[in-house]
Amino acid sequence: MKYAALIIPALFLALFCFAIFKKIRLYDCFTEGVKEAVPLVLSLFPYLAAILMLSELFERSGLSAAITQALAPAFSALGIPPEISKLVLLKPFSGSGSTALLSEIFSAYGADSYIARCAAVAYGSSETVFYISAVYFAGSKKNLAKPVVIALISNFLSVILGCLLCKVL
Amino acid sequence: MRHNNSLPRRINYRVNVIFTLVFLIAAAIFLLSAPEEFLPALLAGGEKAAALSLSLLASYCVWLGFFKVLEQSGLADKLARRLIRPLGKLFRSQDREALSAASQNMAANFLGLPGAPTPLGVKATQKFLAAQNGYGADMLFVLNATSLQLLPATVIALRAAAGSAAPADIFLPTLLATLFSSVLGAALVFLTRKKR
Repeated sequence: MKYAALIIPALFLALFCFAIFKKIRLYDCFTEGVKEAVPLVLSLFPYLAAILMLSELFERSGLSAAITQALAPAFSALGIPPEISKLVLLKPFSGSGSTALLSEIFSAYGADSYIARCAAVAYGSSETVFYISAVYFAGSKKNLAKPVVIALISNFLSVILGCLLCKVL
Repeated sequence: MRHNNSLPRRINYRVNVIFTLVFLIAAAIFLLSAPEEFLPALLAGGEKAAALSLSLLASYCVWLGFFKVLEQSGLADKLARRLIRPLGKLFRSQDREALSAASQNMAANFLGLPGAPTPLGVKATQKFLAAQNGYGADMLFVLNATSLQLLPATVIALRAAAGSAAPADIFLPTLLATLFSSVLGAALVFLTRKKR
C-alpha cells in the first residue's frame, strides 16, 4: 500500500508549510507540544501496569484458554469459524498478540482463504478494548463497565457481520 | 488526572471487583498448578507496561508536537469550526477545547495515523470527565474502541506480506463491519444514557 505511506509525510509537510505561512516559530511550538508527553505518560503508567499484569496472569494461568474453549461452540453456531474464535477473544486484550495470531492464520490457511479473510475483517473491525479503556479512563473514578460492555458487544456483532460479508463480497 | 476524587468511591467499585476477582482466580490456579511461574507472569506484565509506556512516549512526542503546531497555526480551529455544533450534540458538550481534541481524535482514527488518536482522545476524555460529562467520555471511548477507520493499513500490509493476490479486497467488508459497530456502539451509549 504505497499511498497509505504517503499520508503521514504529506500531512507534516502541508502543516509545517502552513505554519511557516502563519509565521509560527516551529521549533518553539513543536517543543511546547512535546512537553506534555511525559506528564501524560506518567499519569497513565500505574493503570497500564496493573492492567497488563492482570492480563498476563489471565493469559498464563490458562484462564483465557479455558474461556476460549468454552465459548468456541457458541461461536461456530453464530457463523464465526472456530479457527478465528481465539483471535476474536484475544483482540480486546492484546494488540500485539492478536497481530501475531493474525499472521499465523495467514500462513496456516493462505492469505486469500475464507478463514484468512474473516480473520482480517475480524481484526480490522475491532479494537483492543481493555487497553483503550485503561488508557482513556486512567485514574478516573467512573463506572467503566457500561462503555466497555457496549464496545465489546458492538465489536462482537460486527465480527459476525464481517464473516457474513466475507461470504458474499 | 485526579480531578474526580470528589466523587464517591463506589462509582469505581466494579473495576475493583473485576480486578480482584480475576487476580484471585488466576493466583489460585498458579498456586495449585505452577507456583514458580506466578512472579515471572507479574514481572512480564510490568515489563510490558514499561515497554508500552516508552513506545507511547515516543509517539506522544511526535504527535503532541504535531498537534501543538496544528493548534497554534489556527488550522485546528478552522477544521473544528464546522464540526463543533454536530460534535457538541454527539458528545453533549459545549467545551470548545474538548470538542476540538475529540474532532482531531476522530480524524486521526479515520485516517489510521498510528499512535495519533490516543493523546487526543485522552485529552478530550479528561476534559469531558472534569466537566462531569460521563456521557461524552463514554461516547468518545466507544467510538474509539469500535475502530472507525477508512483503511485497515496493518491488515493489508500483513496480507501482502503473506502473499495475497489481492491484499486490499477486505477493505469493503472491514469498512462495513466497522461502520456497523461504531453506529451500534454510539446508539447503545445514547439509548442507555442517564436522563438529564
